[in-house]
Amino acid sequence: MGEDKLTCLPGRRMLASHVDMAYLEIPSQRRIEIDFIVWFHFRTNLGGSLVKKLAALAMSTVAAIAVTAFSANAEDFKIGLSNGWVGSEWRTQMIEEAQAAAAAWKDKGVNVEVVVQSANVDVPGQIAHVRNFINEGVDAIIINPNSPTAFDPVFAQAKEAGILVISTDAEVSSPDAVYVGIDQKAWGAAGAEWLAKALDGKGNVVAINGVAGHPANEMRVAGYREVFANYPDIKVVNEVNANWDQAQGQQAMQNLLATYPDIKGVWVQDGMAAGAWKSIIDAGKTGDIAATGEIRKDFIDLWVKDKLNSGASVNPPGVMASALNVAVLMLQGKELKEPATAGQYKNAMYLPIPFIDSSNLDEAVKQVEGKPGYYSYTSQLSIEDAEALFK
Amino acid sequence: MMARILARYPFLPALVIALVLLALNGLYQPRSVSLIGLTGLTKTYLALMLLAIAQTYVVYAGDIDLSVGAIVSLVNVVLVVLMERWGGGGVSIFAAMAAGLLVGLACGLINGLVVAALRLQAIVATFATSIFFTGVALWVLPVAGLPAPTAFWRTYGGRFFEVPFVFYAVLLLALVLYLMARLRLTTQLLAVGDDAQSAFQSGLPVTAIRIKGYALCGLFAALAAFCITGDTASGDPLVGGKMTLFSVAAVVLGGAALSGGFGTVVGSVFGALIIGLINSLVYFVGTPSEWQNLVQGLAILIALMAGILVGRRTRR
Repeated sequence: MGEDKLTCLPGRRMLASHVDMAYLEIPSQRRIEIDFIVWFHFRTNLGGSLVKKLAALAMSTVAAIAVTAFSANAEDFKIGLSNGWVGSEWRTQMIEEAQAAAAAWKDKGVNVEVVVQSANVDVPGQIAHVRNFINEGVDAIIINPNSPTAFDPVFAQAKEAGILVISTDAEVSSPDAVYVGIDQKAWGAAGAEWLAKALDGKGNVVAINGVAGHPANEMRVAGYREVFANYPDIKVVNEVNANWDQAQGQQAMQNLLATYPDIKGVWVQDGMAAGAWKSIIDAGKTGDIAATGEIRKDFIDLWVKDKLNSGASVNPPGVMASALNVAVLMLQGKELKEPATAGQYKNAMYLPIPFIDSSNLDEAVKQVEGKPGYYSYTSQLSIEDAEALFK
Repeated sequence: MMARILARYPFLPALVIALVLLALNGLYQPRSVSLIGLTGLTKTYLALMLLAIAQTYVVYAGDIDLSVGAIVSLVNVVLVVLMERWGGGGVSIFAAMAAGLLVGLACGLINGLVVAALRLQAIVATFATSIFFTGVALWVLPVAGLPAPTAFWRTYGGRFFEVPFVFYAVLLLALVLYLMARLRLTTQLLAVGDDAQSAFQSGLPVTAIRIKGYALCGLFAALAAFCITGDTASGDPLVGGKMTLFSVAAVVLGGAALSGGFGTVVGSVFGALIIGLINSLVYFVGTPSEWQNLVQGLAILIALMAGILVGRRTRR
């Protein structure tokens, strides 16, 4: 790879006997390298009992090299999770579910250590996340990316360093990464399909969208437009952007209700749905309007209480946990039955999209029962589900 | 003695803080201070350094520019779209870069005219122009996705004679900053920021100077966009949005006064570095994910206080 040799050290530990064996098997030329690395660690670690530290470092460093030699039977994986936006509980739940999924691998005899970087960062800041993971020598990186295209070069570097890269929740263009998550276009289409059926295929409809130019938003918009195009009697009279903000969604709905008194249907995404529904309820039009909903417990409770005519596509926070289960199987060297070649970037593996409507609302209520109001209805690929996708 | 050194080199506190943070990074993750680690750090944060420099020139004059992030996005998409349109060859890359610089300059001039000539409040006016520039960027490239020519980002990420390209860029930048510090414009900006009234009374063309400050800011924001494009190899109409406030933070961390009249561009460069090093350090020390934002904010606050305390002591 033409870069310096210190980069490819995975930070893992092994049994001492393994270490000695490994050390002996290493060609003398590389032993010098190890000695240098030990010396380097020694230089950079200040304080403490130096002799003890030297011994420990020598051990762990040789172990690191040993693992490179014996990586076939190593079942210890270190996986880095990067999240570049901390604006919602959904993201917190996403990380917590992924951590739980990692812990669940213990029963299978696989130690999955997760390290997490999660903060509000700009794109360069999240590129720094990836570089930190490369420096640390993780086995895989799972990222909820802030940009679809900006990570191509840094993912290429990660791949050169032998790291598996998986993006989730938002697709990336890099050929060096795999996307494991839902198809945002199908997500948008599912809500539109439900709405069209709820309206018997006719009536005026408005759409409240997220952030203009955001890839997930554009894909969802493309999804509902395609569906409504099949229903000649459904007319989309206006489309507005409310930036995925509940308050802005409420405001936008108020304006729309004032402008178009004859609206029959509303297509609205995520948390903005709760805001839009609030305006619909305040206007006393609960019974006259069908609108898409969302998946947080607060909203599901309202849905049941006020008997809303609603249906919700689910983008489950469990996507990262699903991606983690897929990652571990890939690290074990298993191969997918169907290679991940879907989507506009030909690197996607799409997960099923659950849908909540009146037929299965009770089930959703049961799942979120006793959880806090911000908890989202979720689903994920279990280890067994994921294994079924591999040869 | 100490006071005199600090008055001469006001960026020293920022330099010391950056060095301490670098040492801490090395302590917790030795590989982060290896050649590759440092190259990565420079590649990632060169854009923020340039943006902090851009911001410094307007802050010198007591102004602020909340549109720098939007300018970065706009130049980024213009650059990528033009390189694509013109074929992606060597000549087209340089032509697109020239066009990018012009776009940055034009944005800066618009800001300058709105703030200095029309006398709108800088903070609100540049917030408004930031929305406008983002709108233009979305018009140029509606969704993120167009790749930059390979030659462009391979150069940015590559190496010449075994030395990474970004280090040459840093050297060149240092030279430019050294020359710029000797320009009359720098002194004039500082004079305006220190006391616009007396600067005017002593015969300085205050409005023209402030406009020049914004123009300079636009140019450096365009350079930052080059780095972003080099590091991300693609166009994204929203890429720079979040960088704006980080650039302001970097300027203040670097020892400049937001009220104007005091500061150094070198300090702002170290300020940007401090932000980057804090981000990495928070992770390397093993902060749990739910605390990372909080710790990062606290660390920036502490760095800010440390710098200000030292500065205040000596200026008294």
